Amino acid sequence: MDDEHTAEYTVPCAQCSAVDWGISDEGRFYCRSCHNVIERTREVVDLSFLKLSSRVSTIRGPRKKQAERGHVWMVCEGFQFILKNQADALLALGVHPQFKDDVLCPLWRCYLQKSRQAYTHDPVRSCKFRVRAVGSDLESASEGISCTDGESNPASTAGSNTENSGFWSGSSDTLTYLSARKKRSQSLLSMKKTLSLIYLALVWSREALTLSDLLRLVNEGHIPYLNAYEQLPEEMKVTGKDSLIFVVETVPSHHAVHKEAETLIQFLQLPAFPPISQQTLLHPALLSLRYLSDVNLPDELHPWVCRLLEHTGMMDQTLHTFDPRNHPTLPRYDVQAAALIIVTLKLFFCLDDMTEWHLSNDLGRQKDSGKVFNLRRWYKVMQAALIRAQERRDQNVSRKQWKSKKQIYPNKKEKCSMIKKKRIAEQVQLCFEKLTSCPSGLQDVGPSSFIFCWGDEEESDGPSLHHMKLDEVVTRRYDFLTPLNDIYWHPALRRCLCYNSHYKEVEATLPRSFIWLLQLFAFMLDVKPFCLYEEVLSVERRIFDTRLYRGKSKANAGSSAETAGASPEAQASLNTRTSPRRTRTSPRTAEASVGTWASHRKRQRSRKS
Amino acid sequence: MDDLERELEPHIDLENDSDSSEDNSSKGEKKSKFPLVKPIYGDQTQQNGFRRTTSMCRERIREAMLHHRWEEAAEYMVYYPQILEDRNLFTAQPSKEFIWRTATEIFHHHPNSTMEDYNTIYERMKHSGFRHYLMISLEHSFHLLLHQQIEDAKRHLASAESWRHGKETAAQIQNIKLIQAYRGLLDYIIWCDKKSTRSSSDYYESDSNQTMQNYFRQASVNLEEILKNPGVWDCFILRYVEMLEFYEHHKEALQVLNDYAYDSNFPPNPNAHVYLYQYLKRQGASEKRLMKVLKVLHALVPSHELMLEYSSLLLQSEKQSDTQKALGVVLEMLDFNCWGSNLEVWIRLKAVIQKLQNQVDWENIVCEKMAERKDWWLALHLTSFHATKDSKENPELFEVKASLTKILFPDQPLKYSVNGSQVKGKAETKKRKGRRY
Repeated sequence: MDDEHTAEYTVPCAQCSAVDWGISDEGRFYCRSCHNVIERTREVVDLSFLKLSSRVSTIRGPRKKQAERGHVWMVCEGFQFILKNQADALLALGVHPQFKDDVLCPLWRCYLQKSRQAYTHDPVRSCKFRVRAVGSDLESASEGISCTDGESNPASTAGSNTENSGFWSGSSDTLTYLSARKKRSQSLLSMKKTLSLIYLALVWSREALTLSDLLRLVNEGHIPYLNAYEQLPEEMKVTGKDSLIFVVETVPSHHAVHKEAETLIQFLQLPAFPPISQQTLLHPALLSLRYLSDVNLPDELHPWVCRLLEHTGMMDQTLHTFDPRNHPTLPRYDVQAAALIIVTLKLFFCLDDMTEWHLSNDLGRQKDSGKVFNLRRWYKVMQAALIRAQERRDQNVSRKQWKSKKQIYPNKKEKCSMIKKKRIAEQVQLCFEKLTSCPSGLQDVGPSSFIFCWGDEEESDGPSLHHMKLDEVVTRRYDFLTPLNDIYWHPALRRCLCYNSHYKEVEATLPRSFIWLLQLFAFMLDVKPFCLYEEVLSVERRIFDTRLYRGKSKANAGSSAETAGASPEAQASLNTRTSPRRTRTSPRTAEASVGTWASHRKRQRSRKS
Repeated sequence: MDDLERELEPHIDLENDSDSSEDNSSKGEKKSKFPLVKPIYGDQTQQNGFRRTTSMCRERIREAMLHHRWEEAAEYMVYYPQILEDRNLFTAQPSKEFIWRTATEIFHHHPNSTMEDYNTIYERMKHSGFRHYLMISLEHSFHLLLHQQIEDAKRHLASAESWRHGKETAAQIQNIKLIQAYRGLLDYIIWCDKKSTRSSSDYYESDSNQTMQNYFRQASVNLEEILKNPGVWDCFILRYVEMLEFYEHHKEALQVLNDYAYDSNFPPNPNAHVYLYQYLKRQGASEKRLMKVLKVLHALVPSHELMLEYSSLLLQSEKQSDTQKALGVVLEMLDFNCWGSNLEVWIRLKAVIQKLQNQVDWENIVCEKMAERKDWWLALHLTSFHATKDSKENPELFEVKASLTKILFPDQPLKYSVNGSQVKGKAETKKRKGRRY
């Protein structure tokens, strides 16, 4: 009996924060868990009056409910608003306005059509639905994305009424979403998919934002993702089962979004992307320049990275452009650029825990060492900055507030307990906030493409080494400038048939300085070191055996033995070791694949892997 | 507990599965009987950003607390409570206890914390779930007691006492008992207050008498109840007996103390016998009764300080065997190093031996008692080092011990007396030298 009267009143108890009201005999509200009586009393209904007009009161009830529910809306509409907000945030961050209207919007429409959620005569919903007139509310939703097309949105026709079955949710088609989700996990939207869609649109419009940048912006809260449903319009009530779709408790990893994006490309059957030419900021030639300056490496290294690109044939734009026929994979631009820098550093300093320090020692003895790039000095500056940055990031992670102020209650049963939990958490939080007098929330950091800051300013991470010269580590041989270091090592390059990375197994055997470099870039891009390691391997494959690399598609990579190239004059001194996985490393004549640039590797060592 | 259960559950299920399939098909044989790798929770937590944040936050709070950086710990505590909103009960449940305990600990050390903060945390966490309700209530009232808010503490205990929550009440039966006990104790404290104010003002005022009586009754109900449960209730029984004595309910007091000391359900508790002895002594009971109590105590704790009284009682008795017993008691006391340099015990030993010497075969008796001790007593009490120390710090003790050594060890070379005097001489010359400079 009481429940009818107390259901409306969801204010937590002042004593114990429970939301469990009962009505005493005197008609006063009391808390059932702590027996605290409050001011509020039950509104006594005059029964004699009701007898005459009982019909009126029954009509009243449902109408009130309807008002509470807000408009009838579809899940994809909700996602549309979220996407729009995300796109707007990106525009505010300086992305070209075309990105939203000319790229993301058609992509979104294409998606809706392919997934049969809209622009189709055969909508995905299998449950019965009533055809109804195009509601004005739905139009407002489709206007959310800046360009509205003339035709009426067919999705609105599917607006079914879910008053039946007692299923409780804000949107009208959550049930379809949840039940069909497993079967058509590719086609139906999820929060993760919004990010991959945005990512695809960014690549298409050739913006200078890589995936790791995007995820960083999401993590720092510059792009709405976590609790993005809060920004939906008032009329769209997010309740009940919607929480399973819209509430996220994690920001997906680089790997996950990339994979999702690739499946999305397949699903949308997208044509070839606009070419990523050398002038595009996503191209490794320019991207590596950005990363070089971010990690405080000298600008002079950049031409060498470009030479490496040329040598490996990676200058070619087709390699970096998605094309369903010629190049059906979506490159990881950021990871690739980082791998190229690592390989360049390996060429210069070998990074075998010995050579690089010897080189640094030699440099240290010279007189004008102030202007010459010294790896040891760089390592010291970088390591200190890395530790600080890691600490900063960890601090931010442990201070991140995940739970939203505006909760979604999965069902009516849990609503009370969730309100109570929320209230308790808030009060405990408030108590400590008062104690520490520190503002809650993260420290506001402006969005930036760079992780580190180099220079003489006070808040910089250390002195800038960008102008340092590489003179002492290069030499002139056969009229070509080449690195002084003539040793290069690499792990076994043969592709393993299993798809797992062997990084965990080989990590202990790799040189520490190499591992450190991997960790540095992995931290910057917020990817796992093994991703980067695999990318380094694939660049090395290109250096040493272009034919093998290309042959992969002809399926002979598995059968052919591992080969590593070296110049003819180096064959005599070639030092090879067989790896435990029985990958035979044999010298190979460097006919065309190894050009002048790499022809001065005197020795070549294949590391155990 | 929750964690444990969660970890055990999958194992049990998997084992059952393999058992049943082994019987039915050949596939079952292929299943290894090795302990199965448990599902990787670590991976899940890494995937979930929320979990990662809360676990990192928790780690940082721990770290800060270990290094006594209370302000930093409090800063991180701002971000931790969001774990309460976690819909996974496995993580939310233990975190409640973590928040409650950590928060009070931080308040305890934080310079800016106020009583209000404590109250907020105690109240909120108390009502956040029923599992820790009684425990938190109890600690809350302890905290209030520390700050002299006896009435408030009592109020909290009273509400906790009447708290009921289905099965949970049964699970927390121990806590309920504790709460009862402490409530009785609080009644006693108020009773004490009333008593002291009453004695200062009008002695025969009936009003205050009445209220005192009320508190006594309330306290005795709880305390009497609690004393029926086996356990160590030292601080409670003392108060109870004090009140009973005040109202001259001697019979009940004796009964309570006797039960406490002799009920075999209770864990052996020397204090129970001490309290009984003290009570009997206050009541002027006969020596025989006192000796009976002390005999039991002697069996439990031979080194107890009351053994001095026991030995003196034994000495006073007429029986010869009692003197021998007294010798045994004193020697056993001296077996413990803590009594080694106690003058009183050695004097008592001398007295016992002097009385024993009246008997015919006293030497045999002493020999018999010392037989098992002669190997180590010399090293324990009678080395030249002891002689030096005793002569310097307590010359009287030195004399008593020296006089006893010959009797206790008639046929052994003794280092105690001979060297002792020499060393003493040397020490004095050294002192004189020191003064000269």
